[in-house]
Amino acid sequence: MTAVGGGSGLKERLFWGLGSALVVIYALIPVAWTVSLSLKRGADLGDNHFLPRVVSLEHYEAVFRDPQFSAALWNSIGIAGISTLAAVLLGMFTAYAIVRLEFPGRRLILAAALSIAMFPSISIIGPLFNMWRTLGLYDSWLGLILPYMTFTLPLAIWILSAFFREIPWDLDKAARVDGATPLQAFVRVIVPLAAPGVFTTTILVFMFAWNDFLFAISLTSTNDARTVPAAIAFFTGSSRFQQPTGSIAAASVVVTLPIILVVLLFQRRIVAGLTSGAVKG
Amino acid sequence: MFIMLPMTSSTRSTTPILLALVLSILVACAEQAQETPRLRWYVFNERSGAFEQAARRCTQAAQGRYQIEFTALPADADQQREQLVRRLAAGDADIDIIGMDVIWTAEFAKAGWLLPWREAAANRLLEGRLASAIDSASYHQRLWAVPFTTNTQLLWYRTDRVDSPPKTWDELIGLAEQLGELGTIQAQGERYEGLTVFFVSLLASVGGSVLEPDGRTVSLEDGPTRQALSVMRQLANSSAADPALATAREDQARLAFETGESSFMLNYTFVWPSAQANAPEVAGHMGWARWPAVIEGQPSRVSIGGINLGIGAYSRHPELAFEAAECIASESNQRLAATLGGMPPTIEALYDDKEIRETFPFAEQLRETLRDAISRPRTPLYADISLAISHILHPMREIDPAKDSERLRNAVRRALRSEGLQ
Amino acid sequence: MSRRTVAEHRLAWLLCAPTVIAMLLVTAYPMFYALWLSLFRYDLRFPDERQFIGLKNYFSVLSSEAWWQSLSNTLVITLGSVSVELVLGIILALVMHHTLIGRRWVRTSLLVPYGIITVVAAMSWRFAFDPTTGFVNALLGLEGAWLAERWSAFFVIVLTEIWKTTPFMALLLLAGLTLVPEELLRAARVDGASALQRFFKVTLPLMRPVILVALLFRTLDAFRIFDTVFILTRGAQSTESVSILGYNALITRLNLGLGSAISILIFLCVLAIAALYIKGFGIDLTHREGA
Repeated sequence: MTAVGGGSGLKERLFWGLGSALVVIYALIPVAWTVSLSLKRGADLGDNHFLPRVVSLEHYEAVFRDPQFSAALWNSIGIAGISTLAAVLLGMFTAYAIVRLEFPGRRLILAAALSIAMFPSISIIGPLFNMWRTLGLYDSWLGLILPYMTFTLPLAIWILSAFFREIPWDLDKAARVDGATPLQAFVRVIVPLAAPGVFTTTILVFMFAWNDFLFAISLTSTNDARTVPAAIAFFTGSSRFQQPTGSIAAASVVVTLPIILVVLLFQRRIVAGLTSGAVKG
Repeated sequence: MFIMLPMTSSTRSTTPILLALVLSILVACAEQAQETPRLRWYVFNERSGAFEQAARRCTQAAQGRYQIEFTALPADADQQREQLVRRLAAGDADIDIIGMDVIWTAEFAKAGWLLPWREAAANRLLEGRLASAIDSASYHQRLWAVPFTTNTQLLWYRTDRVDSPPKTWDELIGLAEQLGELGTIQAQGERYEGLTVFFVSLLASVGGSVLEPDGRTVSLEDGPTRQALSVMRQLANSSAADPALATAREDQARLAFETGESSFMLNYTFVWPSAQANAPEVAGHMGWARWPAVIEGQPSRVSIGGINLGIGAYSRHPELAFEAAECIASESNQRLAATLGGMPPTIEALYDDKEIRETFPFAEQLRETLRDAISRPRTPLYADISLAISHILHPMREIDPAKDSERLRNAVRRALRSEGLQ
Repeated sequence: MSRRTVAEHRLAWLLCAPTVIAMLLVTAYPMFYALWLSLFRYDLRFPDERQFIGLKNYFSVLSSEAWWQSLSNTLVITLGSVSVELVLGIILALVMHHTLIGRRWVRTSLLVPYGIITVVAAMSWRFAFDPTTGFVNALLGLEGAWLAERWSAFFVIVLTEIWKTTPFMALLLLAGLTLVPEELLRAARVDGASALQRFFKVTLPLMRPVILVALLFRTLDAFRIFDTVFILTRGAQSTESVSILGYNALITRLNLGLGSAISILIFLCVLAIAALYIKGFGIDLTHREGA
């Protein structure tokens, strides 16, 4: 990036630096508040102080002792994980075909993927509910995996296509000339080139599946398949009239920490993945 | 899981032993699974633990024939209904006994989600129970749930500020306005079921009703409806109304009364033990009376609430579930629910009981009110109707009796045709 | 066609088959099923009273206040959030573009709102605006319950949406910023154009395609808003969005007929918005997949 040197440069640097600081505050304020709430004692929740005066882990204890939450965590990890694997796998096949092969219907598939990305999922909640309850898929892992996989496919296809387009596929020919078998050439040359793209896609697709709320609350009702967003929304307080603010805050922090970790470690990849679709071509 | 064991001489002798072990474990598990059928009782998580105790008592009384598992639902009645309805629509076999809000009877019965009680059992159960409670558990001349606890509203007032309780709404509002700042009236004005309860009670007090007796056509006669709406409007616009009326539910009203800055409150009986525990200075001057009448000389009629116990239609052990429900709703458990949880019983004789009268000093007034209590419209479409009513009547201060009477009729008509969208 | 081409076609279809099957089974089929359901009076609470009533459900929906109310609510939320997101997104993109200190930290922190579960974000803002446990009232010295009144509730909803989705917009716009050739900007500066003029006359026009794509997706996302409204108000105080209306009809009240009609109407609205952008603003999405 151009760095204008000299005196005006310092003012500019400070200006943009201040801007960055504001951006960071913008991004992290509600997160910081939730963390603070989760660490406050139950009685202090209403004291309006930004930082807790006395740090207490009671809400975290309550959350981990709650079987509802641990069931939800397990469901979320399993369902989002399996959906991601399926979506990335199917996406890889499709992206490969789109990028490397000429065939009628290529435009159609891309258009279909695009339309699914724009699709209002509320429109199929009713039919899915009715279909699943007759098929016995209501309140089951498979009942959520199927829609998750389908709705994350467009994202997977778009990002993988963008990455696959950048791969010099003919490099494997060079390896084969050198004596490697087609499979060896593929594994030793193509796979390392494709791996970063696949990895990024996996992260983004997982984040998407992890985030879903509408399907989760419509197609589940018990700990059998209820995911984290649904569980948090329906957290019942310990008493009839008390708002479970502390527990919800603690649960929110628990599910957000891994995201923050992933974002911290892989921010460059994630940004590359997100922007590849918009800019390429 | 089948593991292929390499067939050496040692395995040949240990394999039969292993097999026997595995078989015996399997048989034991199967026996366990058959042994004590588990009946799940879905009901809101009652704070005092009275429900859990009742479940435990009945499990013991069953002497190994069944086990009642208390499964908690969310505290909010709408959320409870939402969860139950969805699972019942999906044919959930895990739901054996349901702690039903009185307004769900018609809906659940019509949808085929409940098993009705047979005549003999029904007759046995109905003896000695409050007629209005039985009404709330019946639909089309059949009993769909056994009444367990009940509830209704009374007028609570400060005995140190008012000599004798007002008998009509006009009197109440006039008296409250006279008292000035401390004369606030606490009621429920949020856009939720409580608002519908308020309207339905007022309407019944002037002799009107939402639906015709057939339960399929709108009634809402113009005269009585306008009268009921005028009372609501008058209350909301009076200086005696709480400024937060439009967002007040039962608990907000209770809290406000307990601060001591109100003199009147229309609320359920749970406020009594609460005041005793949380605000003794207020409780020391707390009196009760029947809900104010709208027309002088015509006693008020209030909506009945409470919990009835229904049997899920997909239950795997319906006969046992019927038995268990009867046990839970029996006299001793009703007594427990009353003394521990502050929930009024449905067995009439208990209102003369010494222990009950100690817990509820207002037992006589309560029984009288319950005798005259009315059920909210008994139709499977009640949820839609209630939503329509509460949407139109919120906020109370903006009610226009003439216009809103017409709007209510139209909305309820649409709701009855399953065209309600709110 | 050569044999090689045929083989290529077959391979391609084989590779794409699972994707196509998934899309057909889980999206296309339910969509047609929804259309079918919308032609019936079908309430799961009266399973035996199911009957064909043609387009009556659509008349009911289109003649009810609730539908128009929720539609206008949704448009208010959409316009409010997308307009602010565009402006804020451009500002954030500029900051990220020009910053030298801690660029990594800026980008990481911006990804946090993007990565957070929407439900968690909405809860966080609900807590922030809560009169008892929140910091907003304390900071501004106010008393009211923001979520108890219609317009202040809208404010919180729109604020939460903006907070959560601007980072995504900003990242897309940042990528667009990098497309603007430095020489053009330098030439403009040599010609005497001020920073503002350079921005409006050179940068923005060149970013137009990226801006339009970002706007299209954000508008569609905003129109389909559900999680945020559900957590903040559940649709109370007349803040229902069309998706909340649909959810209430379908899942809360099990009225599959009426709810499906609402679903189809929402789908048509989304189509209309997409058509507006694609035909009206001339976004060319097809060039993107390459030759």
